[in-house]
Amino acid sequence: VQGPDVSWYLVVAAFLFSIGASGVLLRRSPLIVLLSLEIMLNAANLALISFARLHGNHDGQVFALAVMAVAASEVVVGLGLIVAIARRRLDLDVDRLRVLRG
Amino acid sequence: MTTGAWICLVAPLAGAVLITLLGGTISRRTAGWLSTLSVFVGFGGAVTAFIGLLDREPEEREAVTSAWTWLAAGGFEVDLSLLVDPLAVTMMLIVTGVGGLIVLYSIGYMDGDDEERRYFAYMSLFVFSMLLLVQAANFLILLAGWGLVGLASYLLIGFWHERPEAVAAAKKAFIMNAFGDATMALAFFVLIWQVGSLDFGVVFAEADGLSTTLVNLVALGLLGGAVAKSAQIPIHTWLPDAMEGPTPVSALIHAATMVTAGVYLIVRAHPIFELAPDISDLAAGLGTITLLVAGLIALVQVDIKRVIAYSTMSQIGYMFLGAGLGAYGNGMFHLMTHAFFKALLFLAAGLIIHHLAGEQDMRKMGGLRRVMPRTFVAFLIGALALAGMPPLSGFFSKDAILASAFASGGYGQLLFVGGMVGALLTGLYTFRMVFIVFLGEPSPLVREHTDAHGHGEGPWTMTVPVAILAVLAVVGGWVQIAGIWHPFEDWLDPVAVGREHLALVEPTVTEDYVASVIAVGLGLLGIGVAWMIYGARRWPVPRWTAVQTLLERKFWFDELYDAVFYRPTVFIAFLLRRYVEEPLIGGSIEGVTRGAREAGGAVGDVQTGYLRWYALVIAGAVAVLVAVFVAVQ
Repeated sequence: VQGPDVSWYLVVAAFLFSIGASGVLLRRSPLIVLLSLEIMLNAANLALISFARLHGNHDGQVFALAVMAVAASEVVVGLGLIVAIARRRLDLDVDRLRVLRG
Repeated sequence: MTTGAWICLVAPLAGAVLITLLGGTISRRTAGWLSTLSVFVGFGGAVTAFIGLLDREPEEREAVTSAWTWLAAGGFEVDLSLLVDPLAVTMMLIVTGVGGLIVLYSIGYMDGDDEERRYFAYMSLFVFSMLLLVQAANFLILLAGWGLVGLASYLLIGFWHERPEAVAAAKKAFIMNAFGDATMALAFFVLIWQVGSLDFGVVFAEADGLSTTLVNLVALGLLGGAVAKSAQIPIHTWLPDAMEGPTPVSALIHAATMVTAGVYLIVRAHPIFELAPDISDLAAGLGTITLLVAGLIALVQVDIKRVIAYSTMSQIGYMFLGAGLGAYGNGMFHLMTHAFFKALLFLAAGLIIHHLAGEQDMRKMGGLRRVMPRTFVAFLIGALALAGMPPLSGFFSKDAILASAFASGGYGQLLFVGGMVGALLTGLYTFRMVFIVFLGEPSPLVREHTDAHGHGEGPWTMTVPVAILAVLAVVGGWVQIAGIWHPFEDWLDPVAVGREHLALVEPTVTEDYVASVIAVGLGLLGIGVAWMIYGARRWPVPRWTAVQTLLERKFWFDELYDAVFYRPTVFIAFLLRRYVEEPLIGGSIEGVTRGAREAGGAVGDVQTGYLRWYALVIAGAVAVLVAVFVAVQ
């Protein structure tokens, strides 16, 4: 089955990655930052699978599976942190969590 | 025979280590007995070595025994080796014999002191160090022993470390001795450089080949060490202060053994000193000056131990006089008899100090003859021997030195006159002490202490060593009587290198008797004057203010050294601190720290704490990396 050329997939991946990156850099709510991170990871997954398809082997797909597992665990930790912050009635704002500044 | 020597060396070390390791698990008294036992085992070893040597022919009385190579650097090697010959064995017997008696005495003297175990460990350590010094078969081992006796002396002078004077005296002794150690080390460097070995045999065999300048340098370095250790002018001021230590320490270290190490060194290294006659003459001259100066200062001292300390300096001056003029056997002979009668005097003085609960000021004593009659007899024997009265030991040995001085020509006869004046002074200061302390009515202090603890003269551990030493002080000189027999000189003769006899000067019998008569006459004159002034009190005590001040300030030696060495040093140190340390060194260190702190602050500003900033930096860095990769490809 012939689909679109591999470059289209890569363009979509780059587009998704840019959206995710902008979200991480610009949004202040940690929840949205996490969501944006997920978008970035999925952009990477898309790129990996496209290359796997291009080269005709399965390495890229294996990587994509690993990335999904990592993304799932990362969301667990991230959401746990957000819940912990919320329960201590702190502001859910990444710009105000800057105790580690030099 | 060599086994005996090793036992002699190791036993006191084992005693010291054992007492240290056992620590609080043994009683103080056990520590004392352990120390005494270890030294007497050493004495047994020395006797074994002595008998072993006696069995041999005189020419074969020399054995070197090596344990292992102590250090090796290129072609230069030093073994841990002992030399067993008549000279070493004589010293071994004196050190362990007199030492054992004094350690036994300490059990009674130190009874009840808080840190008795430490004391006995130090005493054993000292005996070991002294044995290492006298048994060494090369100069490096000798220097190791030399340094170790200095250490033990430091530890024991400062034994009562809560007394500031004792601590100061200990430091003074150590620092002044370090000066002598340094000059000796320099002499050894010359020997290593020129001869390539420090073994006595090799050095003495090859000393002939050295140039006069080098031999003089080596002899001068050795003399520096000897002068410092034996408290001769000009490095003598530490010895009187060393009397801050416990009395048995003064008896063992600062009278009988360690301070005579300088004489031993000159006799041991006599082939070098013979090649440098000027330095030998210097040694004899320094000895003569010391015996006069110390005798004069002793006339005005009021502390009983300091009087005996100055008399020690004076007697060692006689030994230097003898050894410097080449009468090595007579010097060693006086060393031996002096060990007996001076240890006796110190220990008897210790009995008095013990009875008076630590009082050492003679002005507060008096009339002790009635309270302590046996101590009086012992002290009197020691005093008569010190003043050279026949037939006690000091008579034979001191007169032998004086006769040798008389027999050795012009320079020697000049020193002979000095020695004779010294004999007069010896009689005077010794019997001034005896009469002040023992004659007359008991002073209030004496009565008070006698009422408090009766007429007892001390526990048997203290009185028995005094009695034995009193016997030795009487008979110790009979091993050599001019014109009749001289086994002591014959015994030491094999130590001569390249000659038949050890001594360079041999006074005739007539000279010997003339010297004896003059010396005894002058000694008696001194005693007589002391009797008129302090005994019968027919003459008033002379009051020459200027002379008295001069003597009481000890010829201003301490003040002189203070002005010449101490103050300039402190002043230079002050200048260096003010103009080098603080602005340059301190300033630069401060600059470095300030720079580091400021750099840290600047880097810290990068850490904003904004998550997005970090993410941007990472993203930017990745973008740069990608650009670089692309560009490079």
